[in-house]
Amino acid sequence: MKRRQWLHMGCAVCASLAAGGLLAQGDLDYAPPERLARPDAASDEGGLWAMMDREEKNLRRSGLLLRDEQLNRYIQSLACSLAGEHCGDIRVYLVRTPQFNASMAPNGSMQIWSGLLLRVANEAQLAAVIGHEVGHYLQRHSLARLRDIRDKAALGQVLGLFGIAGLVGQVALNATAFAYQRDHEREADRIGAVLMHRAGYSVEESAKVWDGMLQEMRARDGDGATVSPLFATHPPTPERRDSLSAIAALLPGGSAGTESYLTRVSPFLDDWCEDEVKRHQFSESVALFSRLMVASPVAGLMQCYRAEAYRLRGADGDDERALSDYRLATRDGAPLAKAYRGIGLIERQRHRNSEAAQAFRRYLELSPGAPDAGLIRSYLESA
Amino acid sequence: MKYLIVMVAVVVLAGCGSVRKVETGTNKVGERFSMQLEGPWNHVDFPGIKPGQLWTMEGITVDELIIYAGIKDGQVMHPDNAAQTKKQNVVFRRDMPTEKIVSMFESVMTRDDSVFKLLRIEPSSFAGRKGFLFEFERIRRNDNLRQLGFGYGAVDDGELFALVYVAPALTFFPRHQARVEAIAHSALISPPVGAAAPVAILPPPVRVSIGMPGQRLPAVSTAARAVAIPEPK
Ligand SMILES: [Zn+2]
Ligand SMILES: [Zn+2]
Repeated sequence: MKRRQWLHMGCAVCASLAAGGLLAQGDLDYAPPERLARPDAASDEGGLWAMMDREEKNLRRSGLLLRDEQLNRYIQSLACSLAGEHCGDIRVYLVRTPQFNASMAPNGSMQIWSGLLLRVANEAQLAAVIGHEVGHYLQRHSLARLRDIRDKAALGQVLGLFGIAGLVGQVALNATAFAYQRDHEREADRIGAVLMHRAGYSVEESAKVWDGMLQEMRARDGDGATVSPLFATHPPTPERRDSLSAIAALLPGGSAGTESYLTRVSPFLDDWCEDEVKRHQFSESVALFSRLMVASPVAGLMQCYRAEAYRLRGADGDDERALSDYRLATRDGAPLAKAYRGIGLIERQRHRNSEAAQAFRRYLELSPGAPDAGLIRSYLESA
Repeated sequence: MKYLIVMVAVVVLAGCGSVRKVETGTNKVGERFSMQLEGPWNHVDFPGIKPGQLWTMEGITVDELIIYAGIKDGQVMHPDNAAQTKKQNVVFRRDMPTEKIVSMFESVMTRDDSVFKLLRIEPSSFAGRKGFLFEFERIRRNDNLRQLGFGYGAVDDGELFALVYVAPALTFFPRHQARVEAIAHSALISPPVGAAAPVAILPPPVRVSIGMPGQRLPAVSTAARAVAIPEPK
């Protein structure tokens, strides 16, 4: 009875098209299990749940949590629209970390990082990632992998410094990105697509998520580990994108939800962009902001942050690129304080004192209490 | 039990564990940088900390004083650490303006994806030179610990001299802030070998402390503190 409820009636036609391809018809008739009961505390699984409960308790106290009530409610309800009757068992936590990552613990606690929220363009893309994670949860993929993560989590508590931050940081990141097996990944992709389709989202958007990440990775040689710890386990390969496109062709229709998404996240974009630039992986940031600038209602802000990335990278020609971006971002007198500061800093370096002074004055006018107001004032006085 | 084993493994792996006491009095770091200590510190030798030098009062997981004694043009900041995180190197340039130097420190302190918030940056004399100070808050990524910190720096003859201190916002930062300020005030850069005498030595910095809003700094005892790297129990 329960299983029937989950069958998406509208899917009969589109699923039947799957016959000759990668997918069997049954693949898109996914019926989620009934609500997962809390495992016996004495069992191995129960022990793992207890561990994740503890992690969750820590997470709830964390200074890294995004606590805005409206934003939390919005994303929790998006998760609920995908998880259906499992909604009550899934708790979404928004974490302020500038990387693309989402993870789901077996006890139903889910983390979504702000770097992911910055990078997705609409509700459908976010739904694709959440749906994928819900897929892991429903199929209980993480059980086996959790065992050795317990050790790594403990390790993360021990060392936290500067000097070996790399080692510890990696361990801490790995703890939030469970390494699933490849067939689990395929299954989660497929389930995620089915869930988002049933919730009324366009499955085509899921392929775009990975396409965007591929672009960002190509901005720099490397495996993309700095963009996302998720890549270690979820490589944004062309195959992945293509198989999601194939599924999308079988599950057509649905909306992207671009405007509603941007309306909800726009108050936070400034912080998230700032965090992104602070990663100091400027070439990746340039690729990201270039992508986000396209046809976006927040193009000016994104352009201002691309300028920040250029200015801080400081390669040949970067100052010119930055200046041009800052100027375009403020062309209609947009009150983007950072852009004026950027113009001032670059002009100062070039000994164009009156241009620098003019920009600094505008910056201080817009942002008199900025943390660097003291420094900028001293630059202004010596200009 | 597992905890302990993992801890030991990491310490061995990182090749650290070498701790040396730094005594009260004048301490010279590198060729041209010196400072006065009241009460000893622990100097911990970590490969990942080069080209800085790491001192601590309470143990490395608690508080850290990083000393940069003459970073040269083109020198990479903490290269070993960058390699581990697969992040791009941060390089010091002699013509870097203050905001870029601070941005460089910020980069180093966010390599583990900690959240860094600049609270203040302004010009300040340091070690007899025109320099800068900056204050920040950091939420350490792996354990959500809220830290406060500050740094002083100056560029002399194209080399960067700086002190950066960071400690938990609760208890430890207020406990050691004045002590570290005193070290910063005592810092001196000597002229490069073969150079003429410095033009003018500026007086040490004077400033209001950050700490917690509305909170007064506790009196600092100059008695030596018993310090050690905490043993895992
Ligand atoms: Zn359908
Ligand atoms: Zn996955």
